[in-house]
Parts: sequence; C-alpha cells; structure tokens
Amino acid sequence: MSHGATKEFKVTWGMVIDLDKCTGCGACMTACQVENNIAPMVDASNKLRTLSWVLVFELNNGKSGAEAEVAYLPRPCMQCGNPACVPVCPVVATEKNEEGGIVSQIYPRCIGCRYCMAACPYHARYFNWEDPIFPKGMEKALSPSTSARPRGVVEKCNFCHTRFMQAKEKARQEGGKPNELADGAYMPACAEICPTGAISFGDVKNKEHKVFDLAQGKDAFRLLEKLGLNPQVYYVSKREWVRKLGDNYAATGKPGAAKKHS
Amino acid sequence: MGLDRRGFVKIVVGGVAGTLFTPVIWKSLDDVSIWSQNWPWIPRLNTGEVKAKAALSKLCPAGCAVKVKTVGGLPFAVAGNTANPMSKGGVCPVCAAGAQLMYSPARVKSPLKKVGEGKFEAIKWEDAEALLVEKLGVLKGQAGKIAAISGDETGTAGEVISGLLGGLGNAGYYMMPSEKFVAEKGVKLMGGSGQPGFDIAGADLVLMIGADALDSWGPTVANQKAFAATRPTGAAATAKFVYAGPVLNHTAAVSDKFLPVPPQATAAFALGLANLLIGAGAVSSASDFAEYKALAAKHTVEEVEKATGLKAESMKELAALIRAAKAPLVIAGASFGQGAGALDFVAGASLNVLLGRVGGGMTLLPAAPRAVGGVGASDKDAASFLAEVSTGKAAPGALIVYAANPAYALPQADDMAKALGNIAFKVSFSTYMDETAALCDLILPAPHPFERYDDVLNPYGVAKPTYLVGAPVVKKPVMDCKDPVDVLLGAAGKLGLTLGFETYADVIKAKAKALGADFDALAAGGIWNGEPKGGALNLGASALAKVAPVTLDSKTLALAPMSNQAYGSATLATPPANLLAVRNTELLGKDLFVQMSADTAKKAGVAEGAKVKLSAGKGEMKARVHLNEGVAPGTVAVLMGFGRSAWDEFTKGKGDNVYKILTVSDEAGTGLKVWAGSTVTVAKI
Repeated sequence: MSHGATKEFKVTWGMVIDLDKCTGCGACMTACQVENNIAPMVDASNKLRTLSWVLVFELNNGKSGAEAEVAYLPRPCMQCGNPACVPVCPVVATEKNEEGGIVSQIYPRCIGCRYCMAACPYHARYFNWEDPIFPKGMEKALSPSTSARPRGVVEKCNFCHTRFMQAKEKARQEGGKPNELADGAYMPACAEICPTGAISFGDVKNKEHKVFDLAQGKDAFRLLEKLGLNPQVYYVSKREWVRKLGDNYAATGKPGAAKKHS
Repeated sequence: MGLDRRGFVKIVVGGVAGTLFTPVIWKSLDDVSIWSQNWPWIPRLNTGEVKAKAALSKLCPAGCAVKVKTVGGLPFAVAGNTANPMSKGGVCPVCAAGAQLMYSPARVKSPLKKVGEGKFEAIKWEDAEALLVEKLGVLKGQAGKIAAISGDETGTAGEVISGLLGGLGNAGYYMMPSEKFVAEKGVKLMGGSGQPGFDIAGADLVLMIGADALDSWGPTVANQKAFAATRPTGAAATAKFVYAGPVLNHTAAVSDKFLPVPPQATAAFALGLANLLIGAGAVSSASDFAEYKALAAKHTVEEVEKATGLKAESMKELAALIRAAKAPLVIAGASFGQGAGALDFVAGASLNVLLGRVGGGMTLLPAAPRAVGGVGASDKDAASFLAEVSTGKAAPGALIVYAANPAYALPQADDMAKALGNIAFKVSFSTYMDETAALCDLILPAPHPFERYDDVLNPYGVAKPTYLVGAPVVKKPVMDCKDPVDVLLGAAGKLGLTLGFETYADVIKAKAKALGADFDALAAGGIWNGEPKGGALNLGASALAKVAPVTLDSKTLALAPMSNQAYGSATLATPPANLLAVRNTELLGKDLFVQMSADTAKKAGVAEGAKVKLSAGKGEMKARVHLNEGVAPGTVAVLMGFGRSAWDEFTKGKGDNVYKILTVSDEAGTGLKVWAGSTVTVAKI
C-alpha cells in the first residue's frame, strides 16, 4: 500500500465502544487472554513485560470530591485504515490487505525488531520477552483459536481473526455469502463477553450493521484522530472531557482544541 | 593452471549472484524463521470438536449462568449464555477465567492430612473419609462440639451440612458474613421477614448507597444487564443511576452522579435525604411515620454536611431527582459486601417505604421449601462464632469448613486464624489451597464448578425467587477430588444418620421438585422464577433512633475496603489470567497501594508513593500511597483480595490483607457485629 493513504475495503470491521457503559470490570481482558492463549505472568505488575491485546485504561477528569469522574477505556488494536506499523516493518510481517481491513501480524515472519511498536501511537503492540509458559496442566485449557507465540516476536489484537474465518466458513456451509456476513455473525471475544454490552462490533460500512450508525453518532470519536491513521475503532461518550482526552490535544497541545474528523 | 585472484573474485561474485536467483536461500530463510520459533516447549493447541455446554459457574459470589466451550472435551473458554434470562449472555471477569482455573496451581490435588506445621501428606480417599467419620463419631451427640462454617449462601449443600449437624446433635452452622445476613435482620427491624430483593430493571432511578451494584454487590451480571438496557448506545438513557459511597468505584464510574460519602456516614446520609423528601411533601402510611419524620428532621443538610462533607446543593439536587422519578429505587449496602450494620440497611430501605416502592421496586422473597430436614443456619455469623471460640465461650472439638476462608476473610483476620487453632480437628472442603485449608488437619479437595453438580437459590439482590442448577461439563474431575456433599452424605450414613439422599445430584433434584422446577431444563442452562411475596414494611423508626452520630477524630481515617470482582473474593485469590487487569497503581511488585485524596494525604502527612503502615485494633498492614481524588474526604480506600499467605506463586505474598485491620464493634440497638465503619491510623514508615 502507498504511504499515507487509507486503503479502502468493501467490508471494514470496526468496533464502537460506549465508554459511558464500560464499568472497567476487565472481563474483556480476561476473555481476550483466554481466546488468544496469552500465558499468565507471575509478576503482571511489570507493565513493560505484560501482553495486553486489549487494555482497559482508567481516565479521570482531574477534579475531586463530588466533581470527580472516572471513565474506563478499553484499547484493542485500532486496525488503522492507514496504519503506522505496516510501512515500517522490514519483513512484511504486518499487512493490511485482507477484505475486512484487519491489520495482520504474521508471527513466523516477525524478526522482533519492534519498529512497529515504536510506530504505533496507541501502544497496541507487545513484544514477547518470555516464552509462553503456562502453569503445569493449564496448557490443556489452551484455546484452539490462536497458536502460542514464542519469545522474540511482536503480537497484537487481530479482532479474533480465527472467529472471522469461522464465520465465513459457516456462511459458506449454510449457502450464505462470506463477504456479506450478517450483523453479529462475527464477534470478537471481548465484544461477546462484555456484561454491559459496551463493545459493539460489525462492518462500519454496512448499513445493516448497527455500528454503521453508531460510528457516525454525534458523540462518536476516535483516538488521536488528527494523526490521520483512520482507526477502525470508535468510541462513544456523552461526557465532553472524555472526548477531549481521546483527542489528546495532538493538534495544538491545548485541551479542548477543535475536533476535525479525518 | 591455478586459480588467480580475478578468477577467485569471479567465482565468489558469480556464486552470490547465482544464489540470489535461486529460491534456495529465501526458502531456507523462511524455514529458519519458522523453525526458530518452533521449539518443543512452545505449547501446541488441542484439537477436536468444539462444543459449548451450559454450566453454572459459582466462582463468583452470585454465580454466573454461562456456556463452557470445549475442544475435544477439554474446557478452554467461558462464554455467556444468551438464553439464560438472568445473565443474558454476560460473564463476570472471574468466571471468564473459569476454564483456566480448573488447572490453577493452587488446586488441592488429592486428600491431604496434616503431619506437622504447614506440612501435609497425600492420603487415599477411603482413609480420609474414615478419619472424618472417626472424628465426628467421637463427638456425636455432644451439643456444641461440632460446628460448620460455610461461605456458600445459595447452594442446597448448606441444607445437607445443617442436616448432618442436626443429626449429630449440634446446631452450630455459621455463615460467613454477607449482605444477605444483615439485610434479613434489617427487614425484621422494619416489621417484615424474608430476603429483600431489588428490581433494578424496573426502576427509572437507582440510588445505590454503598452498594457496588455494577461490580460486586448482588447478582452483578444481571445488574449490569439491567443497567445496560437503560443505556442504548447512541440514544438517550431511560434511567438514572446515582452512587453514594466512599470511593468512585466501577459502579460510580458509569453512574450519572457520584456523591462521596464516608463509610460510617451512610445512615446519616439516607436520613438526611429522607428529611429533604419529607420536607418536599413525601408522606407514608407506615405506622411509624410520625416518629420517622421527627427522627429525620434532626438530619438537616447542615448536619449531613458535617457528617459527609457533601454540600447542601448536592443533597437538594438528589432529592429533586428522586422526586421527579416515577419508579425510584434505593439500594443500601456496604461498599465491600459485608460488615455494614442492619441500621445502614434500614436507613436506605426506609427510603423505599417512604417513596411507596415496597412491593414494586423493593421486594420480599418467600422462604423456599427445604430438600433436607433441619433448622438451617445459626442466627450468628462466623465472625461472632469465632470471636466466641477465641474467648472460650464456644469450644467445638471439630469444625467443618465448606466453601469458606475464615482465616483470611474475617475482620482482625490474624486473631480469627488463631481462634481456629483452638479447635482440635478442622476439615476443609476446598477446591484451592486457601489460608484456612492450610490451617486444617484434613483437606478434602472439592471439584471445580465445571466438574460437579451445584445450585444457586436466590442470590442476594434478585427481585424474585430465582433458582439455577449446574451439571458437570467434564466427565471426570482434573484432580483426585470428590463432591463435598457426596462425602458428607456418605459420612452421615456411616454415622448412622439418614438424610434421605446418597448424592448431591439427588439433593438438587429434590430441591428442584420442591420448588416445582424442571431439573433437566435447569441443568441445560434454564432458570426457575417464582413470585415475591407481598407484605408491607414500616420505616424502622424505632431502630433508626439508635443511629449514632458520626464522629471522626483527626488522628484516624475512615477505612473503606474496596472490592473489585476481577481480583477474586474471599474464597478465590486473583485468577492468574486476571492479574493483567490489576493496575500498577494498585499493586507494584509486592507493594499494595492504598488510596486517598490529596487533601487527606496532606492531613495524614503522606505523599504519592510513600510507604505507610495502617493499624487498627491488634492488626496492621503495610502499603504505599496512591492519590485518588475519587476517595471520600477523611477516608483511605484499600483493595481487598491481596496479601495471600497460601495459594500459588501468582498471588502469595503480594500486597497485604485489609481484613487484618478491620475492627469489629457492636451496633447500637441490634447487637450485630459491624466493621464497615472501621477507622485506622496511617503512619509513614
């Protein structure tokens, strides 16, 4: 793909996360770890070593007492339309060329140079510092969806890509169209498990999918939109301070800068 | 002719150029990159047919109706059961890790007999069961000599345990402290009876006083679903949620309004609100309204401000919100699910009476029919019982511990653990090596919820009678364990008692039948619902007259233990898969962070990151300070679930246990032991 341009797909899988419904319970993080066979770490407080394909950030409005507010922001890979990670990869281990617009991560190709991690402004990529060692016996509870990655490679959220393939396969078997999946036919683990339904998922270009309208709602925004990476993950919040934080003042360095959709 | 320099260079350059045109080098590089990642110690995936089976996951206190996904018969993930009207496809973060917890390194792998301080030897089941029968047999018929502590308030297992105790001439069946225990006492003080329920789904304004309803109070997933239904993404909300409590917790984060109220001032806050509502014209036909009105009148906005720090405007705005609502609902509870007084409950529940919402929003559940004969749980909780054991007032010779961890999860935990030492024979039925099991003389491994039959009746908070049943997902448990109820029924038989059943599955079938429910439909992931009973409540005015005025001296801070469901519970240390969710401002290495506002920290003379010692009573704990402006003034918030001394490498020795510094006091007028209003001194170290 050419540098600086958004690659268009007929189907564009996207997420709309309602931050006013996210209680920060962490079920999405657990479901993601389980689905993607991320080995538990004895010291998971060392956040430079952990692997969080989806990470729930805690935001606050900086006020105190009855004025204080907190919001939780789950951050998966943004599956950018114009990803910063793809052009910097020297071995083409990460690509955006499949219908659906999911940014791939091909572990056997990855040489662990971590250029992609430096390029990603969302810190959505993680490096395996350790081999995936599960407590004795726990390997029997490995998910069949995702191979375990060795140390030395970078990994990230891929919208539970195996589920995408399974949904297409099911559509084929049932005589449907794999490139026109119905709303809800394909759902990543985090969206499926969320007890408040804060995570909606679907094709943001398909009017039949509810994310089509949600992504265009007046309270919808994307993280660091001014960088022009065109993320496929949208957030919704009625709280202005949350929307302003999502923008992270990238254009002017000042809070409250005018928002411009790219 | 020899090879000259030019010839040599030609060959090398030609060779290099040649290899570039062959696929060999590229293929080899590709193979190297694949094979260099293909080590034998990288785990391989399991293969086989992927299926999903309905299950009941009792890893969280309320129990989640889920589907367990299996590959080739091995569970690997937990998904929601969309067909179950209670969980509606949601799963809590603990049950989400359920499949991996089957293989937790903390699981008890076989029956263990204590052979020395902290030392156990594995024994056969027949020897373990014989030892149990021998120890119970010696004390049979001696009143007060056999007791049981249970942490499972929803399972029919409790009927079997209390039935067994009854048959052995004992009545000491004690529950671990819980909201339900206190709420039922509160209902009695309001002239009613039964377990109260709360219809969050039917309310258009929910005021939660202390109760962390969207994370750790009541049936959390059902509460979250009810909340979510009022908040369609991209459209207007159809109900308002207000949280009044000591910490801006997960519930407060998504509520429309957060009102910081220190834990000891919740009753005063509720009565202050009652005063404003009455002033605005609210009346009740309850017989004690006049008394209640006079009592509430003492709690002016100025008095509430003194007790809570809340400005008059905040209270008035809240009163106006409640008055504007068509179906308001008030839920009162301790912010960490236990230790609150009955008066705190009554003060909150009286608002439902005042608003005419008893029967609609707040319900009362009828007593359920028993499957096993007996009297049920004692009027005292496990904390009161162990306090008596420590003073010698109670002197049991044998203690059965079922799904409970009293050595870790009772106030002044170290004293409670010592009190356990006064009991000559202790047996723990536990899935995991918890702190209490580590002190017991016999540990009988219990199956994981996906390996056994179990049931849930009326988890605290549900608005109408509710019954769920779970059947095993796997054919055989992963460890050498037996169902505790099967073991107890077997022991009962050997002790000459007839409880009428041989297995727990039979007991549950009988329970379902007694309720008029279809066991097979329930075991397939269904639900049984009954109807709440009618009946009015009074305002509890005579009890509320005893609400003590709030006083805080400048040397101590109010202690607000903070529950976070993902981090586990009394009977489950943080699952390994959930450690990732613990923030490094909550736990860093082995240091737990306690949280307070910048103002409070300044007054206490501590700063961000400072190492401190918190002490109260005989207990103390060490931690570091993290500033959090969402903590009520004069309050220090401490996360629960850390400071484990047993379990596994993932949790042992990380942080400190807040239960150690919870102090028990007697609630005026009710005689209940309470610890939600504990205070602590904070000192820099």
